[in-house]
Amino acid sequence: MTRKRLAGLAFLGIPTVYLLAFFVLPLLSMAVLSLWRTENYHIIREASLGNFATLLTEPAYRTFLMRSVVMALSVSALCIAISWPVAYAIMLYGGRYKLMFSLALAVPFLTGEVLRVIALQGLLGPMGIINATLIRMGAAPLRFLMYSNVASAVGLVYLYLPISITVIYLSLSNSDARLVDAAKIFGASPVQAFFQVTWPLNLFGTMIAAVLCFIPCLSTTLVPRFLGGPDGTLYGMALSQQFGESGTWALGAAMGVVLFAVSIAATALAFRLDLRRTGYSGLGRS
Amino acid sequence: MTETSTMVPHVPAAGGRRLPAPRILLRTGALCLVTAMVYVFLYLPIIHIGLGSASRNTNFPYPPHWAFKAYADLFANALYRTALGNSILLGLGSAVLTVTMSTMAMIGVLRFAGRHARIFILLFVAPLFVAEVLVGISSLVLSGLFLGLPGNLFSAMLANSVHCFAYALLIMATQLYRYDWRLDEAAMVFGATPAQTFWLVTLPLIWPGLLGAFLISFILSFNNLEISFYLLGATPTLPSVAWGALRYGVKPELFALATLVNLTVLAGLAGMYVAMARGWAKFGHRPERGAAVG
Repeated sequence: MTRKRLAGLAFLGIPTVYLLAFFVLPLLSMAVLSLWRTENYHIIREASLGNFATLLTEPAYRTFLMRSVVMALSVSALCIAISWPVAYAIMLYGGRYKLMFSLALAVPFLTGEVLRVIALQGLLGPMGIINATLIRMGAAPLRFLMYSNVASAVGLVYLYLPISITVIYLSLSNSDARLVDAAKIFGASPVQAFFQVTWPLNLFGTMIAAVLCFIPCLSTTLVPRFLGGPDGTLYGMALSQQFGESGTWALGAAMGVVLFAVSIAATALAFRLDLRRTGYSGLGRS
Repeated sequence: MTETSTMVPHVPAAGGRRLPAPRILLRTGALCLVTAMVYVFLYLPIIHIGLGSASRNTNFPYPPHWAFKAYADLFANALYRTALGNSILLGLGSAVLTVTMSTMAMIGVLRFAGRHARIFILLFVAPLFVAEVLVGISSLVLSGLFLGLPGNLFSAMLANSVHCFAYALLIMATQLYRYDWRLDEAAMVFGATPAQTFWLVTLPLIWPGLLGAFLISFILSFNNLEISFYLLGATPTLPSVAWGALRYGVKPELFALATLVNLTVLAGLAGMYVAMARGWAKFGHRPERGAAVG
């Protein structure tokens, strides 16, 4: 008995300490720093809410945050709208190639953001495949695809589509097909069966997919920098500049705290769904 | 453990109203068209830069005039070689730490957490819901400002492994959830020490999950910039060098670099696919649960 308790302490304790030390403690120290201020690249250790006041009163930061929230919301909605038919099609028609289709999504996902932004330049840039083809054909290049918010949005969809398809696909493959069959046997039309059985059963998975798109979109630094236009500065980009060019770490930390709060709020909102009613099957049933 | 789902044989959708044939065709066609377009969208840029990297007409390689100058430039550049070494070290260190921690965590949750399992799971998947850039800057604030440590490969490894931890945990969860712990108890009853049990019973059974988690963590850390950038100090890694070069415009070498990484990832996943299709390993994937949408 004591031996089991000791093992439990080790197996749960070591990862907990690891996460507290390298994940929670850094976040707490960022929160502490957000209350201090930076003057001439020196940190003044006096507690005040000045940074948050700056973030509230300076219109630029509000614009960046609002623009990022709108961008992240629309990108997540787009990703979900595209992912559902794709995940559903893989599930229905994938047959014995299901595995290949789902692994094929991992290649773009695992290649890293920098290299994928390079690939996106090949798609959207002034010399990218779309505009180069148009120029070859004698047409004018599409201006809205070059260094604009539309280009940023397309880029973000490109970056986070694989993960949202994968999450919805996993949710679909974990939900119980016999329930749909049962609905059909009892006379539901396919459309009814979808909206009254399949959709609510997979709502939780859909929400997870949306959150996993929303959070990185909110904080993206690379995409707006390389694809966005002059009025395309997003919050994450402004945040990283505080730690880079401008050196105002304390303000950057405050921006980080706000970003953290917004992501947690979004997650909490998504998770307010009643899990039992959505029939989420947890980590998978055996 | 076994609920009704595995006990009751699968009932095919025999009865019920079915769609008339033209509408089924329409639905099939629409779904397949969207799917095909998505795969084209995802792969077109990759193929485009792949062709561009291997031809003289980099910007519009249709048809390509084959030339491998970009690759020659890439290999001649010593900075990229150093960066590659650092990236591999970063990936390996982070992956070893991640796999160890996530395996312990998942075994802990499944075997020892009891009624506190929910709290531990909440803590363990939390990194999934915190943006990468926040992991990066908060670690920088702690180590750089409060502890006064300079950034190096080691601090980048730690921060990356925190981010990968949640992904690895999910992979280990799918592997371990179906693990039969009575096997371990049987081994113990017959006199095996806990260490022997682990090496001779548990490890041979869960290695595909471990390998899957290791590969994912390695690749994620290898390619990461948003976390590593703040913690690396002056150590170059492939993404940071590529980022630096990208600021001065896209060059053919970058296309070549991206293509090489893409091909490596593709080869790794193709290997996993062959292993799974042949039934050598499952990597936590459960093909018998395939038919879920009818």
